[in-house]
Amino acid sequence: MKSETSKKSLKSFKRFGIFAALPLAVFALVLIVPFLRGIFLTFTNWDGFEFDSFVGLDNYVLSVQDEAFWSAMTMTFGYVIASLILVNLVGFGLALLVTIPMRAANVYRTFFFVPNLIGGVILGLIWQFIFGEALPSISKAFSLPIFNDNWLLSPTTAFWAMVIVTVWQMGGYMMIIYVTGLMSIEKDVLEAAIIDGASALRTLLSIKIPLMASAFTISMFLTIRNSFMAYDLNLALTGGGPYRTTELISLHVFKEAFGFGNFATGQSQAVMMFLVIAAAALTQVVLSKRAEVQR
Amino acid sequence: MIKKWLAVATAAGLTIALSACAADADSDTSSAPASSGDSAACESVTEVTWLNTIKIEIRDQFLGAVDEYNASQECYEIVVLDYPQGEPFFSVVTPLYESEQAPVVMTALQELPDMADRVMDWTGSDLAALAAPGSLDGANIGGKQVGIPVTAEAFGLLYNKAVLDEAGVDPTAIQSRADLEEAFQAVEATGRSAVHFSGLWWSLGAHFSNIYHTTAAEDLEGKLTVLDGLVDETYSLMDDPKFIEWLDTFDLMKEYSIDSASIADTDYDQGVENLATGEVGFWFMGNWAEPNLLQTTPEGSFGVMPMPTGANAGDYGNDSISVGVPFYIMIDETQSTEGERAGAIDFLSWLLTTPEGQARWAGPIEEDGMNFIPMYEGFTVSPSTYMSQDIAAYIAGGKTLEWMNSYYPAGLQDVYGYEGGQPYYDGVVDRAGYAEVLEGAWVGAEKSWR
Repeated sequence: MKSETSKKSLKSFKRFGIFAALPLAVFALVLIVPFLRGIFLTFTNWDGFEFDSFVGLDNYVLSVQDEAFWSAMTMTFGYVIASLILVNLVGFGLALLVTIPMRAANVYRTFFFVPNLIGGVILGLIWQFIFGEALPSISKAFSLPIFNDNWLLSPTTAFWAMVIVTVWQMGGYMMIIYVTGLMSIEKDVLEAAIIDGASALRTLLSIKIPLMASAFTISMFLTIRNSFMAYDLNLALTGGGPYRTTELISLHVFKEAFGFGNFATGQSQAVMMFLVIAAAALTQVVLSKRAEVQR
Repeated sequence: MIKKWLAVATAAGLTIALSACAADADSDTSSAPASSGDSAACESVTEVTWLNTIKIEIRDQFLGAVDEYNASQECYEIVVLDYPQGEPFFSVVTPLYESEQAPVVMTALQELPDMADRVMDWTGSDLAALAAPGSLDGANIGGKQVGIPVTAEAFGLLYNKAVLDEAGVDPTAIQSRADLEEAFQAVEATGRSAVHFSGLWWSLGAHFSNIYHTTAAEDLEGKLTVLDGLVDETYSLMDDPKFIEWLDTFDLMKEYSIDSASIADTDYDQGVENLATGEVGFWFMGNWAEPNLLQTTPEGSFGVMPMPTGANAGDYGNDSISVGVPFYIMIDETQSTEGERAGAIDFLSWLLTTPEGQARWAGPIEEDGMNFIPMYEGFTVSPSTYMSQDIAAYIAGGKTLEWMNSYYPAGLQDVYGYEGGQPYYDGVVDRAGYAEVLEGAWVGAEKSWR
């Protein structure tokens, strides 16, 4: 009996080995090992090339004392909150629109999804032109004072410019997730609601949204994660400017390490950034899971 | 010291008329290593990597020089590693070192102290011996010669000669800040804007800020003492009359600047357009912009003049332009083989001592040259553009100021530009706030000059 169990476990271990060993090894090599090494380096005087002594928590103390780190962190939180709300509102709104039975629904879906296929750097450059040249020209031609000045050259408008481009880029992606959520709601429930005389709004609030709460969990998780880690758009659109006021945390960490040559401090700020993102994402998932309904 | 090397640079390359060093140059050239030639001398081809930090404007010319050298001999092959323009030096170099693929040849300036342990000591080498005296100082880190100069660059007020002629302004007659304002007014009287004052972070952060640091005292030691004070947090900029005068100049530039000048990254192109087409008479920039200006207006003449900050004629610095070495050439010692290092030196010797190499190094852009101002003895080729001749005249007259920005630690010019210069440029902070940012940038910095 005992030997049969061990045979079984050996067999399942073999099967596991065949299918999972290689991907796991790759995962460990490219993710776990560098991650642990990164944490290790924060306790040394690493200069980007090598280290020769351990410095305890000095790098973390320096990171905490770095005012620019905290202003980047604050800016990032603002950006995450604004993106979280607007991206999901727009994504969900578009999803509701493109699930209305109509002939060209698929064309619209594709149309709204396309911005997501453009890389962040190119997107940044395109929008740099739009905010810097196109909108001011249109604005002057039609006397619309709102876009007279280049939005990227003043701190508040540059922040909103980043949010607008983020919404434009991510809205379509979240729309697809919401569309899947809406489509997965079984027809009988909706028919029952109609027979019971529920209005469209009541159906949306009391039937559709609760039944597709998992789509919200996924979309919000993705938005939070993407916004916290935003780098390419930040670099290409504003470069952290004007006056380093729109520098998000990833760009700040990059500049700290590679621009100023403070590699160990930059690395410890990256570790702190990881902890913050992990905490925020976990909290969100736990809260959203509670809202999900089981049928 | 700087005057001495500049004089030699002038003699060696800029004005052939000043041929004081010609005799020395000939003998030195002959002692320099000759370019390796026939295939019989080499058993195999050695690849030598060069991290391409050469400016994008002359990238094709540089690659042309590499091709010509590679075709000229069969011992070495120079392989150019692409360098993404605008990326910080460390972001490219540290991963290469980490993956044991360090480039053999690199160029840098403010990162030299960080690289000192990893690169070859040029002391006693033939090429270092040919370098103009004093031009090596900027790359001497604690007695180790970590690099040799690429070229000299100059910045100051660029001007469009046609516009100044029309306005009746003689740039050499501008001796003080008041004279400059009069010149601005004279240009405005012709219906143009006076000046394009760039809000580019690097222009404000490295170059315009240098105008203060290099006029803060009359000798190098005095200028470095100011930096000492800033690092030690004992120096108050707002109590320095030279700093106040520099701010007055900043304000003057702002007041007369054309509206289209801004802090946007695209401002450089706007500046080129404004000066080249005569929209403005002046632009605060450096001689690297000359090829761009000539591309826009090929028949134009663009010169460079000092940026006078002093109120009175005769104040220190009013009559001089900032001249310095923008990059030094380093050769890796930790990951390269002896053969690779020999190849690197062979290529550099070819560039700097043979007629073909010199034509590539200092020849005009339109003839596939890189238009570098030669920093080595024995150059028979020299840049001949209008601005080069202007610079030559300042150098020959000893009217040059040090690039104190080469003493800025890595990243400091970003703080100077992004967090100090641009907010002040846009009127978001006042003078005291600006001074505070500049002072704060030095706290905790290493005194690499001591």
